[in-house]
Amino acid sequence: MEKEKKNKIIMAVIISLVCIILFAIMFMQFKTIEETDITAIENMRESELRTAISEWKGKYEDTQKQLEANYKSIQDYKEKIEKNEETSELIDKDLEESNMLLGKTDVTGEGVIITLTSTEEHPVTYYHLIELVNELRYAGAEAISINDARVVMTEIVDVQGRISVSGQRLASPYVVKAIGNQTYLSSTLSLKDSGFMDRHQASGMNVKLETSKNIKILKYNGELKAKYMKEVKE
Amino acid sequence: MKKKQIAITLGIMCFILTIAISIQLKTVKNSNSTVSVSLTDDKLRDEVLRWKEKYDYAYEQLTESEKELTSVRQDATQNDITDNSKQEQINQNNMLLGNVKVEGPGLQITLADNNVAATTSIDPSSVLVHYDDILQVVNALNNAGAEAISINETRVITTTSITCEGNVIKVNGEKISSPFVIKAIGSQGRLYGSLTMAGGYLDILQSYGVIVETKQVDNITIEKYNGIINYKYVKNN
Repeated sequence: MEKEKKNKIIMAVIISLVCIILFAIMFMQFKTIEETDITAIENMRESELRTAISEWKGKYEDTQKQLEANYKSIQDYKEKIEKNEETSELIDKDLEESNMLLGKTDVTGEGVIITLTSTEEHPVTYYHLIELVNELRYAGAEAISINDARVVMTEIVDVQGRISVSGQRLASPYVVKAIGNQTYLSSTLSLKDSGFMDRHQASGMNVKLETSKNIKILKYNGELKAKYMKEVKE
Repeated sequence: MKKKQIAITLGIMCFILTIAISIQLKTVKNSNSTVSVSLTDDKLRDEVLRWKEKYDYAYEQLTESEKELTSVRQDATQNDITDNSKQEQINQNNMLLGNVKVEGPGLQITLADNNVAATTSIDPSSVLVHYDDILQVVNALNNAGAEAISINETRVITTTSITCEGNVIKVNGEKISSPFVIKAIGSQGRLYGSLTMAGGYLDILQSYGVIVETKQVDNITIEKYNGIINYKYVKNN
């Protein structure tokens, strides 16, 4: 009788020990598996890395292209010096290019046209235009005008309730034209919740967006001169 | 009878445990791919660095070539008054575009998050600097005739956007953080007068509790734009 009881207790102890060990192993394994969930983050990092590679590669290729163009220009000027020839053709081309970059020429290209109309309840303010111009630039706009007033640096101001852009007084409707990749421009503006169109249409503003293959943007009308700054030559 | 019961219970338990372990072993085997992922990650990281180095080198060469182009253009046009003035016009455009480092008189504005007030304020957001505050200040500086502007040494050019992603403010895609030092070259009187005007944007920011400092500086240096100014979609008419 006594012996049988003793045997039973020993068996129970052994079985519970084995069970404890097995459970411990199971939990250890659960933990390992939880840790390997980091795979998700690792994967995300990988895609981020791939984006970074294509960004640097793109920047490198652009730089290389510009570098080759500069070398060619240098070569062209050197030849003119050697042969003692006129430079007007070369300089005219360079000046035209430089004026175009600054906004001193009329330009054309594909892009988007956004029309904002003031209504009683939802008047268009100068800040709406600042916001829109900023968003267009973020989406890669290369040239922007509002009612044919060219925006070079942002000069958008409220003068006693009237919006003035680049020194020109404007009135509603405000037609904002932007040249750039039309797909990218329109999709950035139309982003749900964060895009300009979605945000302001939701609030009830009268605003519409159209894309165009051929937009014409006039040159900047004011003066673009460096009166106060000098180049720092190193 | 009792012995049989115990045997069956044990048998079931062992069976469950064995299945659980073998399932887990399988999962662990699958997740072994983590090792190869981090291996490709390292490779990718190397590649990022390689392209960045290539870019840095090419950019350095580009800066050199721009200087050479400017000087050779000057040499080539020195005998012709018209061409020489066109050459000067290009140099002037380059200053306005942000292609060169410039200096001159102007205004320096510092905007900073008011961290002390943020802990006690009812609305902590109102004492922090937001991207649209910087946008408004840059617009105000342009309206006051600023010729060159930089934010934390990042040059503001005609295609610059100021955005935010979560709590991060970006200028030309580069992250910047408080304190924000905005430098502008132009007429000191006009810049200072219009920016510090009562009811002006800086005045409003200060009344919210943001830290605002304005300083007229006789010689401000503004770095060149750190990239290439080139258009892909715009064509001359």
